Amino acid sequence: MSHKPNLHLRDRARKAIKDEPMRKAVQKAVDRLSGNREKAQTELPNWDDWREQGKRIRKHTVDHLDYYLGQLSESVRNKGGHIHFAQTAEEARRVIIDICKKNNGKLVAKSKSMVTEEIHLNPALEKEGMEVIETDLAEYILQLAGETPSHIIVPAIHKNRYQIAELFSKVAGKTIEPDTPALTAFARQTLRQKFMQADIGITGCNFAIADTGAISLVTNEGNARLTASLPKVLISVMGMERVLPTFDDLEVILSLLPRHATGQKLTSYISVVNAPRKVNEKDGAEEFHLVIVDNGRSRLLADEEFRQALHCTRCGACFNVCPVYRQIGGHAYGSVYGGPIGAVITPFLEDDFDFWGELSYATTLCAACSSVCSVKIPLHDLLIKIRRKRIELGFTHPLERVGFNMWRRFFKFPGRYKFAMKMASIGQIPLVKDGYIRSGPPPLSGWTDSRYLPAAAKKTFREIWQEKYE
Amino acid sequence: MQGSEQSFLSHIAKILGRDKPLTSAPNRDEVGPPVFWKEQKFDINQPLAFFKTNLENLTGKVYLAKDDQDASQQIRIWLEELEAKRVIMWDHEELRKIVHLEDANVQLDYWSQGRPQAELIIAAEKADVGITWADYAIGYTGTLALFSSPTQGRSVSSLPTVHIAVFRKENLVPTMSTVMENLMERRSTQNVPAAIDFITGPSRTSDIEMDLSIGVHGPVKVWTIVIEQGGNVQYQNGMREEVPMEKDEVLYT
Ligand code: SF4
Repeated sequence: MSHKPNLHLRDRARKAIKDEPMRKAVQKAVDRLSGNREKAQTELPNWDDWREQGKRIRKHTVDHLDYYLGQLSESVRNKGGHIHFAQTAEEARRVIIDICKKNNGKLVAKSKSMVTEEIHLNPALEKEGMEVIETDLAEYILQLAGETPSHIIVPAIHKNRYQIAELFSKVAGKTIEPDTPALTAFARQTLRQKFMQADIGITGCNFAIADTGAISLVTNEGNARLTASLPKVLISVMGMERVLPTFDDLEVILSLLPRHATGQKLTSYISVVNAPRKVNEKDGAEEFHLVIVDNGRSRLLADEEFRQALHCTRCGACFNVCPVYRQIGGHAYGSVYGGPIGAVITPFLEDDFDFWGELSYATTLCAACSSVCSVKIPLHDLLIKIRRKRIELGFTHPLERVGFNMWRRFFKFPGRYKFAMKMASIGQIPLVKDGYIRSGPPPLSGWTDSRYLPAAAKKTFREIWQEKYE
Repeated sequence: MQGSEQSFLSHIAKILGRDKPLTSAPNRDEVGPPVFWKEQKFDINQPLAFFKTNLENLTGKVYLAKDDQDASQQIRIWLEELEAKRVIMWDHEELRKIVHLEDANVQLDYWSQGRPQAELIIAAEKADVGITWADYAIGYTGTLALFSSPTQGRSVSSLPTVHIAVFRKENLVPTMSTVMENLMERRSTQNVPAAIDFITGPSRTSDIEMDLSIGVHGPVKVWTIVIEQGGNVQYQNGMREEVPMEKDEVLYT
């Protein structure tokens, strides 16, 4: 699968930096979400114990994923559900299309799911002649705009109310006022009709419970509840790591996830769906399919250092504190998963360290992400390791390598080094602005194409040392 | 087991250093919430006090009724205030005792076993108010826990504009732990409901410019009635089997 952006990371970031309204919106969102998280932190006793416990539970589950997925599969089948395992995005799409076709599906109601973004499900269903409707308000807006999410928790944060009113007015065939209550009311009305007609519901899965075969859906709008209870057929799609052993463990994740995501004690709805419906029940899906997707996750699992990235709860806290995300927003990453966690997992999911490994440079390594992670994933550490991996694989800019080779040659000999640094301090003068070299001639450009180089000091360290101490 | 499942699980097992997928439960040192959380004790008044504060912070209402009659009265007051014309209600023994609308100008539908599905869902969609009996209410987060059954349709709490939930004070528990314990017990007897809905306030979204907006898909209002008087009926679908709280608690710190 390849959905590479046309622009290079540097150009995507440059483009984003120029989009002032988007950056303002992103900054407002992350500040609010982070502030709320910090407040929640003071309200839950022993915050760190919870994170530690969350980490232990996730580690145990991921370390025994073969067992828990086997158990989950059995639990789902025992209560009359169907389970499907898909190694690739292609396989997952095929399984889902088959289920829809078998049920003569015409209208598919979807609730927010990152994994279905990842497998590019909607275009595939549409190609088969089905109407697909995203029911999460933000996802609905993005679907109308033909855009992708820019934040994992508030996906349409880059769109303002005027742009949204324009999109809705087009659907309505009349003017919808650009104020939030009017926009929300329009969405409620329109989507409610779709819910009543939909024959297939597709949801993601925040976490499945292995010993019961139930799935949990965490939302504020309640659209996942409707998606899972009105259409006759329910298909839930999950990344293979999104499983927990028991309900007890779910309590821990539910104590962490909403608080880290939005600072809420709990989201408005936590729907535990133990589909299919029981005999004589009059709502809830009659037919239930759980689709478990690998799509590159086993590459993360296979790497002992990176396996812990599969502990992620998708809370988005790392996005909200990242100084780079704050400046460039989600689209500049160009990947389905942005932010620090996206920079870590995308090279594995896409199996491409050359192109996607560059995301590890869209970070400052300040470790803010690691310090807030709901399950204590050392993200900044993993980001350094991606950079290292890229170098080992020979994917750094060839000129950067030439530069470092020259450095090594000069560094070996004090005389040469002294001369080189002096020359650098003089030779750089035309390139320096505000103490940084922003773009240099080759081989320096191998470095400065993707970041600024601090200018060499006017006096070298050796000169200062000599003046003061010799 | 299908072939694709077999190869999928074998692949994972191999990556994790095993010849074949693990089939017996691995040892675990720690399960569920941290120890301090499991061991904490609560003041007997904590659940109600917390529930009220938390739900009210989310624009919900909590009415404390002395007894069934008081609750009955309050429901009528609220329905009048809401100018409700159509109401749908779980076919629940407790609710049948409490809710009397025969002489009110309201069309009342019961979510009962005998009625066709399409009719029920349309009734719920058209209803101004849906009335449920909460299986649990959780103080710590201001949350209602509803278990689905043939007489306890999910649509009653998701489709109407307003959701009114009624329950007894004894249904109130301090934290989610009690509900999870109950679910684990049910699991051992193959009796986990098809849906467990934790509802914490009204449907909301901040998707438009981080501007909070209420009622995007589900109810715009979540109002609750807590009846102080104890219940003396065995609930017909066995949704409650144990008194969840110890009564000798010390104050939670
Ligand atoms: S990596 Fe951590 S902070 Fe980031 S989304 Fe995942 S759990 Fe949340």
